Amino acid sequence: MIDGKQVIALLGQPNSGKSTLFNGLTGLKQHVGNWPGKTVEKKEGSFVRNGKEYIVADLPGSYSLSANSDEEMITRDYIASGKADAVCILADSSQLERSLFMLSDYAGIDVPCFLVLNLADVAENRGKKINVEALKKHLSIPVVSLSAPDTKKYDELYKCMEEALTKKTVLDASKLEAEYEKIEGYSELKAMIPDGVIKGYSKTWLAAKAIEGDKAVKEAVSQRLAFDDKARFIQIISKSEKGTLATSKCKYDWINSLISEAVVNNESVQPFGKFDKAITHKVWGKPLVILIVIGGLLGSFIPALPFMGIGMGIAALIPPLQSGLLEAGVPNFVAGLICNVLIQSVCYIIQMLGFVFGVTLVFGMLEEIGVMARISYVFDNTMGKLGLQGKSVMPCLVSFGCTMGGAAGARVIDNWGQKVLTIAIAWAVPCGAAWAIIPMLSSNFFGAGALLIIVIILLVMLLHMFVTAKIFGKMLVKKEDRYGIIMELPPYHKPKVGALMRYALGRSKDTFFRVVKVIIPICAIFWLLSYSASGVAEGTILYKVGTFIEPVTKVFGLNWKLFTAYVASSVGKEGAVGVLSALYANTGTIFGAVAGTNAANDMQALITAIPKPEALAFIFAVTFNVPCVVAVAATYQETHSAKWTAIISAYYTVGSLLLAFIAYHIGMLIW
Amino acid sequence: MSLSSLAVGDEAVITSIDGDVRFLSRITSIGLTPGSKVKVIKNDRNRPLLLYSRDTMIALNKKECENIKVQEGVA
Ligand SMILES: Nc1nc2c(ncn2[C@@H]2O[C@H](COP(=O)(O)OP(=O)(O)O)[C@@H](O)[C@H]2O)c(=O)[nH]1
Repeated sequence: MIDGKQVIALLGQPNSGKSTLFNGLTGLKQHVGNWPGKTVEKKEGSFVRNGKEYIVADLPGSYSLSANSDEEMITRDYIASGKADAVCILADSSQLERSLFMLSDYAGIDVPCFLVLNLADVAENRGKKINVEALKKHLSIPVVSLSAPDTKKYDELYKCMEEALTKKTVLDASKLEAEYEKIEGYSELKAMIPDGVIKGYSKTWLAAKAIEGDKAVKEAVSQRLAFDDKARFIQIISKSEKGTLATSKCKYDWINSLISEAVVNNESVQPFGKFDKAITHKVWGKPLVILIVIGGLLGSFIPALPFMGIGMGIAALIPPLQSGLLEAGVPNFVAGLICNVLIQSVCYIIQMLGFVFGVTLVFGMLEEIGVMARISYVFDNTMGKLGLQGKSVMPCLVSFGCTMGGAAGARVIDNWGQKVLTIAIAWAVPCGAAWAIIPMLSSNFFGAGALLIIVIILLVMLLHMFVTAKIFGKMLVKKEDRYGIIMELPPYHKPKVGALMRYALGRSKDTFFRVVKVIIPICAIFWLLSYSASGVAEGTILYKVGTFIEPVTKVFGLNWKLFTAYVASSVGKEGAVGVLSALYANTGTIFGAVAGTNAANDMQALITAIPKPEALAFIFAVTFNVPCVVAVAATYQETHSAKWTAIISAYYTVGSLLLAFIAYHIGMLIW
Repeated sequence: MSLSSLAVGDEAVITSIDGDVRFLSRITSIGLTPGSKVKVIKNDRNRPLLLYSRDTMIALNKKECENIKVQEGVA
């Protein structure tokens, strides 16, 4: 119960359709946050039925109820906390034997529950028939067969839920218990366990977990035992080496006995079709993946276009508005603040959001269809060299287009440390904005040498990724987490475009509010620094500070103008060249350049004014700088850790200056 | 013999699995336990093994496969 409202907690393995059901139940009434003190996402929503409000809690995704990860511990603690009035356990009807594992792991917990056999349509297509009534009888909990995307047909589901809530239906674990009893030491262990060690968890469950060597259970139980009993308890546990194998055999035997009575035509094979053959091909697999990613990035522009149009449309209103305000007697400073900071940043954010939306939609679709899992398979070994798993490849590839998209794509990585490490590494990949300005700058300054510079940038990128993996790998990924891929390749699903749209919109909205909070203050500060009453650069604080610290920034080959442009590039790389142009050739205001409203850049002025070594330093500094504010916000959104977002940002600032330093001094030797 | 030494199309039964608690709980939760029947779908060099077990297509890193012993043929 939360605030007198009944709580339904959703529990299910990945791909059981948990998110789909969560969205189906709650619609847009959701709240996303963090579990207190943890870097795990907490999703809660609510819905009203027959005038009563219910709360739906999404228990963080995991494969079982062991104590191996933060997610699993949070789930266990939540169940023990008594907040959930009923737990809704999901299983995939088309792969019942494996996906009922969560149910079997739940057996022995006294919190009321009911079972949802999801993906009923897929099972039906494969010719499987499930006898729901038989399952109900065996388990003595409500059972419903469901297609989660079809929200119009939730009546049975609601009925089950109400039955579980009113009758407080507890899963009958007696047959599973009979299997456990065959394990040596189980009965003795169980007899030793005192009452009420962890609320909601029966002795059966605790004894089975103790056999599995579950640390949390071991501690909780042994704390309650007298000295002699404790020694005996530990002795039995340590003797049951690999107890997990024994209990899981019991669980699957129990599942099989359920299935053999309740499922007709259980033998069906997931097809391994043409596309599977192509994408997993030894030679063609990787090129095909790259093509898919390029296609995906290009495709992301299509849904992004309307947003960009809106952003540009609003931006077009700024000059008339500004002159209007000035005519009406509003002071120049205030008009500037309103037009250049407030409206301008919102335009910038809307345009960026277009891309956030596009990338989330397109890559969300690839994930839903099941392509992502195949891609992870293809790149598992390659990513293994960086201490990562195959799933990390997507964020790195997507980052060539947009680092924000890459960070968001890291969401599918189930281990937090690996997720943060993946994002940290993906930042080293120059994004689309960098690719838009770097070749242009390079060819203007170095002619044909630009090609060499781009090759070097790619090599430095690889080295950067490798070094980053080494530096952060040890801190983020514990040794016992360093195993390779163990992953299901789900069958292909038709994407649910409507639901995806809503999801992508929801996430973009989320990003919007996060980014606004960051960008508007940053822009305001930047604007103030670059404001001068007379309009000349020498009157700005930026100039004063820039020239003051110039002796230091010069070490990296960056004079105050270049350094200002470098700082601007951490807001958004697109702006960097414009800022230079504004500073060197007066082609507009510095701030206008960052926000992208200045007229054409004067490249010729830059070429004559900036010596080659400094240009080279600048190119490297900007390429490997913090990607942009939106990427920082997205990184925080995915890692749920302000600390790590700050560490990564600082690391990239230092790293890019270091690279600039090296580039500058090599440049000095050459020219 | 180890799981990774099976060829494409081979069917086998898992006889033993080694590893720490974490690995065991992860591998069993995806459906692989001693006694599971598996069928190899793909076994390329430098790629994870692809196998089919309990109605599920599973990708498994080769190193992890070393810890899984099987007996060929279906018992
Ligand atoms: N055909 C069908 N697809 C479903 C059903 N439930 C979920 N899906 C799809 O299965 C995939 C995984 O679902 P998702 O909710 O992301 O699973 P989660 O990992 O448990 O959160 C998605 O592509 C869903 O659209 C269902 O009942 N029928």
